[in-house]
Amino acid sequence: MAKTSKASSAPLAHPLSGAAARTAGTTIGTILQKIYPTTTAKGRMIRLGALTAGITGSYVGYMLQRLFLGEAQREQRRKTLLTHTGRRIRDELMTLRGPAMKFGQALSLQTDILPEEILTELSKLQMEAPGMHPSLAEAQFKASLGRAPLDVFKMFEPEPFAAASLGQVHRAVLRDGTPVAVKIQYPEIRAAIENDFRWIRNTSLPIQLSGHLTKTTLDEMESQILAETDYVREADNLTFFKNHFGPLGFVAVPDVYRAYSSDRVLTMSVARGQHLDAFLATRPSQKLRDAIGSRLFELFWFQVLVLERLHADPHWGNYLFNADGSIGLIDFGCVKAFGAGVIRRMRKGILFSGDFDSPEFHRVIEEQFTGPRGKVSSAGHRAIVSGAARFYRRVYPPDRPADWTFDFADAAFLRELARFAANGVRARIAAPEYVFLMRAEVGLYSTLHRLRARVPTSAITRRLLANT
Amino acid sequence: MRFGTGQSERNMSILITNMSALTSRAGRRETNKTATRGRIVAAALALFRDKGFDATTTKAIARKAKIAEGTVFNYFRTKEDIALHFFEQEVDHAIAAVQRNTRLRKAPLEEKLFVLVQTQLEFLAPHERFIGSALLHALKPGSKLGPFSPGSHALQARYLTFVQELFDDAARRGEVPRAGWWTPQVFWIYYFGVLLYWLHDTSPGKQQTLAFLDRSLKIGVTLLRQ
Repeated sequence: MAKTSKASSAPLAHPLSGAAARTAGTTIGTILQKIYPTTTAKGRMIRLGALTAGITGSYVGYMLQRLFLGEAQREQRRKTLLTHTGRRIRDELMTLRGPAMKFGQALSLQTDILPEEILTELSKLQMEAPGMHPSLAEAQFKASLGRAPLDVFKMFEPEPFAAASLGQVHRAVLRDGTPVAVKIQYPEIRAAIENDFRWIRNTSLPIQLSGHLTKTTLDEMESQILAETDYVREADNLTFFKNHFGPLGFVAVPDVYRAYSSDRVLTMSVARGQHLDAFLATRPSQKLRDAIGSRLFELFWFQVLVLERLHADPHWGNYLFNADGSIGLIDFGCVKAFGAGVIRRMRKGILFSGDFDSPEFHRVIEEQFTGPRGKVSSAGHRAIVSGAARFYRRVYPPDRPADWTFDFADAAFLRELARFAANGVRARIAAPEYVFLMRAEVGLYSTLHRLRARVPTSAITRRLLANT
Repeated sequence: MRFGTGQSERNMSILITNMSALTSRAGRRETNKTATRGRIVAAALALFRDKGFDATTTKAIARKAKIAEGTVFNYFRTKEDIALHFFEQEVDHAIAAVQRNTRLRKAPLEEKLFVLVQTQLEFLAPHERFIGSALLHALKPGSKLGPFSPGSHALQARYLTFVQELFDDAARRGEVPRAGWWTPQVFWIYYFGVLLYWLHDTSPGKQQTLAFLDRSLKIGVTLLRQ
């Protein structure tokens, strides 16, 4: 037993020539990485290329080893390989930051779809990304606000307590004794994002030409992520949501201290609560998990249906949970404001009670989605009808009583969702306006699954639809 | 032995009074000299910035500093010496910033080097226009400001010795292998590269320079570790 735990935490030892296969794929990449820094398009491309080659090499090695190993050893080796692969992906994405790290964070939410060992490593991207060294963070603060942190604050912790894909957060105390959180952006992160998207646009050309990924979707993703680099906009988002979350009564949003903020520095009040892992470690009761799950669900649909504006960065580091059932929501960089009519059209499909194969539902599909030549293909219609029947009818049945709950502990619904998404991509369905909504929705379901919450999904959605 | 009759006590007291008067006069003189030197440098920098290095004369500097032109020569033989004095201040200020920062003692080499260069750039920032013309002037043959000229030798030696100390300290701590004699020299050239990059950087808050400095130092130290 002790041997097992040691093997999983120690650096991977590859018998036979697994290491050789991996090394062959990475040596050139490692040399090139030394030459090209990660801020350049070439440097970032090389890192991702070397990562892919290294992982492929590891799997080739593993497949070779499998032939000579017993069942138990095979399983052990598989787990070790997955842990190693997860760690490798995590380390590289951490170094690259920006969209690459966001991609890793999104992957880490794929509960029950990706292997547990990889998820464990990727989930560390949520909170533990390596930051700027204290002197760089201080220089960045000074370059942005014109004064050093200690000239502004009574106390400023040089080491960050949290990392994000675009910046890192430090604890500080205002002159009047108020504790605050100061988010400082990585220098030149905007250029890194632009480089990443240039790379993504070039390498995804085949799937763009085939219609599986549209230019509009890529534009939407790039402009949304670039918008996150403007902390003045984020401060405005914080103020907006703070002013509009009142009716919910259970969500806390940090206050902004604009005098100590700029486009690259954001000073906020400290949010109260524990991150999901820490919260689950306290072994909350089923009742509390249900209450928090229901509130998360209501929070999501309240933003979509009532505010028509959504906190669309679902990673777990952005949610704080409390024993009294209240929720702290932080990091409002990625906020999606829906265009005119988008939510109005969407409402027609939510809790749709008729036949999914009816002309009425097909009209709903046509209104919301596009296909390779503008119109959704018949394959696209089939994919949506089947997904709606197998996923939405199950999670959001329109005709259940108010006390009916959906049990998110059952992982089968996530697999249905993944199948739905895969069929959608295969059928080349596009809905650029929904890219960030869908990402947030997947994040919501993953969190609810981890909470093993039972949520009155239909009743909450019905109430919100009726009130707006 | 009787110590201090009335007369000798008086003499002693006069001696002490005279000595303290002399000391305070010398101290005052030194203070005045430092103030005058500061006025000359400030006036020169303002003129270098507004008129350019080449177009500035010692006469104009004297007028701006409200002193006689001859007085300028008591402190600096040429305007190049004034510029050199400013660069010495820059180096001393940056070295002191690294030495004063107690947290840096345990920081990795790349962070110490980052603070050194970043402090230099911050010191130069208010005089950016002058730095550009001074760099061009430094490239002229025989210029005292040239990075390898005999005139700037003392300044260069002070800087390189300190950089060598940082590398030696990192080697003692097992952070990097012992660096060759050429390492500080390469760093000196690197610094001028950063300076040129900084001068051309038009990004807000010199973001590009911060990122460049951070990444290039990380790459440099990683290469040393290899």
